[in-house]
Amino acid sequence: MSFFGASTSSSLVNATGDKDIEVADPPTDSISSISFSPTADYMAVGSWDNNVRIYEVGANGQTQGKAMYSHQGPVLNVCWNKDGTKILSGGADNAGRMFDVTTGQASQVAQHDAPIRVVRWIESPQGGVLATGSWDKTVKYWDLRTPTPVSTVQLPERCYTMDVVYPLMVVGTAERHIQVFNLANPTTPFKTLVSPLKWQTRVVSCFPSANGFAVGSIEGRVAIQWVYVEEKDASNNFSFKCHRRDQSPTSKDQSLVYAVNDISFHPVHGTFSTCGSDGTINFWDKDARTRLKSFEQAPGPIPCTAFNRSGTIFAYAVSYDWSKGHSGMTPGHPNKLMLHACKDEEVKRKPAKR
Amino acid sequence: MAKKKNKQVLRPWCWYCEREFEDEKVLMQHQKAKHFKCNMCPRRLNTAGGLAVHIQQVHKLEPENLPRIENALPGRDGYEVEIFGMEGIPAPDMADYKRRKEIELGLTPGTITQPQNKRPKIENRPLSEDELRAQLEAHKALMGASEASAPPALPAAGGAVYAAPSQTYAAPPTAVPTPVMSPPGVPPMVPPGAPPFVPGMPPPGFPGQPPFPFLACRPMAPPPGFPPVPPPFAGSPPPGMVPPMAPPFPPGARPPFPPPPFLAPGVPPPGIPPPGFSPPPGLGVPPMPRPPVPGASSASPPPPVGAPGAPATGSASSPAATQNTQQQASTAPPPPLVLPNPSLAQTNPPFKKGTVLKWDDPNFAPEEKRSRHPKYHFSLQSEKTDGPVPNVPPEEMRGKKRARAEDFL
Repeated sequence: MSFFGASTSSSLVNATGDKDIEVADPPTDSISSISFSPTADYMAVGSWDNNVRIYEVGANGQTQGKAMYSHQGPVLNVCWNKDGTKILSGGADNAGRMFDVTTGQASQVAQHDAPIRVVRWIESPQGGVLATGSWDKTVKYWDLRTPTPVSTVQLPERCYTMDVVYPLMVVGTAERHIQVFNLANPTTPFKTLVSPLKWQTRVVSCFPSANGFAVGSIEGRVAIQWVYVEEKDASNNFSFKCHRRDQSPTSKDQSLVYAVNDISFHPVHGTFSTCGSDGTINFWDKDARTRLKSFEQAPGPIPCTAFNRSGTIFAYAVSYDWSKGHSGMTPGHPNKLMLHACKDEEVKRKPAKR
Repeated sequence: MAKKKNKQVLRPWCWYCEREFEDEKVLMQHQKAKHFKCNMCPRRLNTAGGLAVHIQQVHKLEPENLPRIENALPGRDGYEVEIFGMEGIPAPDMADYKRRKEIELGLTPGTITQPQNKRPKIENRPLSEDELRAQLEAHKALMGASEASAPPALPAAGGAVYAAPSQTYAAPPTAVPTPVMSPPGVPPMVPPGAPPFVPGMPPPGFPGQPPFPFLACRPMAPPPGFPPVPPPFAGSPPPGMVPPMAPPFPPGARPPFPPPPFLAPGVPPPGIPPPGFSPPPGLGVPPMPRPPVPGASSASPPPPVGAPGAPATGSASSPAATQNTQQQASTAPPPPLVLPNPSLAQTNPPFKKGTVLKWDDPNFAPEEKRSRHPKYHFSLQSEKTDGPVPNVPPEEMRGKKRARAEDFL
């Protein structure tokens, strides 16, 4: 059960060491978003300290800060473009910025009337487009070369979350609206629905197979929804509870229900992770409807997670997510980035039994 | 077994199966339910010995044929050892367990036996205006230098700001180089020079040079420990302050730095400390412990100043503005979170059984609330003052902090 190899610089491939590696030089304030490059082992991390930091992740899990650029306000989301040459980020300064990895220059490429909550890169057959979702109730598509958006989509409410796996795009907004877009027709929602969860939507994430998505809410629940299926097949959709704890282990009467902060899909296996304000992470298999792994509780809430391009590294942040309002922001609150080496049994689907 | 690892004291654990529990009561219930259960009838006993007796008497099994304890680790499934909760655990097993826990957590041996501080000891005492302001300056300086700074334990001091008694200060943060950014740790409570003080502010970029030029306008008791930050608050300290401050000064002595003008007119305390200290010999930046007082006196001017600012801007924000309210006056506090369409306000459905929903606001996300916080709030105005500061300029931030402080109080 215990081994002596638990030093912080232990390698990720250490079979016995199952401690997650902490990233050196994490941001100074809460981490809002993590994104791995699709082409190389770089990780971009956005934080409430207004900066986006880029780290290189070595094969053994060592991390090296490589670059950093700033917004004028807290950074709320980061993503990479398809060939891993640019990092795009959106923040509370209402601006979307692009950082060119090759030149090291940052420039503003998007503008909204309210903080940009989500940025996603869309690699369509016509070229690459940046989609930004904002609290000004719009999603705008940007060609990075022009200062005006290619087009704008009006949302019913403030955009809280968005995910893209071409050609599927799903936007989750306030008041539990969910809009599904087929990116062949990006300005009109393919389907508008109300979230199957009765509580505020916190995160949506698309399956890597682009035929459905997962929704997480503030009420410790995740729903799996398939799209492009007949209405009758909608019975495949289901939801499950997670990130809850009993207030006292004896009485089952009071339960503490935490928000699901992020859902990340494994790029290869199609399994996914959820993380919550309670500081735990779970890996799930949606087809077998089982849980594959649950992490030990971290010393603080986990606001975001990400898999690297091959699914071998799982990164998560432990930092305050404002779930208790301002009063929860104590100076000693942990604020760190952790990397976890994924073991096969944690992320691979269970073989279908019977 | 998904408990956090940094609970300092070793949690109660079950000797039979080595699981951990929050407290001993739970542990005992676990043992009763899992280990001391009779497998022939629904009876549950309290100890292994009790179970043994029950099986012999009720089910009439011979002592040597007793079934092994259920759900126990191999080797720990006998009836010989009498365990009750955490009592009765043999010492070698106990030590063994402790060792293993320590190794797992990567701590040095012996640490798990004593509780340790999870957090660095931070004094959560009410900080005075002076300290808050200085820390704000230091914070800004640190932010300007893009350094990580350890935020002082200020949030707790929020409520006490206005009643800040005389306190000795912790060594003020030594962030000096660029006086313009504020450290992340500065609490919204800091009601340092509210915008009204801004007009009087000497040009920024005056990083702590011998403050001679300032003397004319601010001949006040400069607590010597102040970091030599340009006093954005300097402004126009109520002229009434001058008289009380002048006398205490040794004639010809020059205050070492432009002090944040905390001194309210006619507040008695200011008179006290200056005699208490001799002007520091050098006009450099000696971080000396500040005399306690000036902070206390600062309580009065900021609140009245801040108050007119806040309500005015508060009423200015219309419901329709919502998050698009950055077009407001430059020193407006972040607009209150208002639903774009109040008629669609959501409510959480009722829960079937008692539930504590950790984030229970159905209408706003945590990020929205956080982005309203003065520390994070971005206002369009700041784009205009596009100085060296990528963030909200100090006046903005202070104004918002002022308003926030009001809110909190």
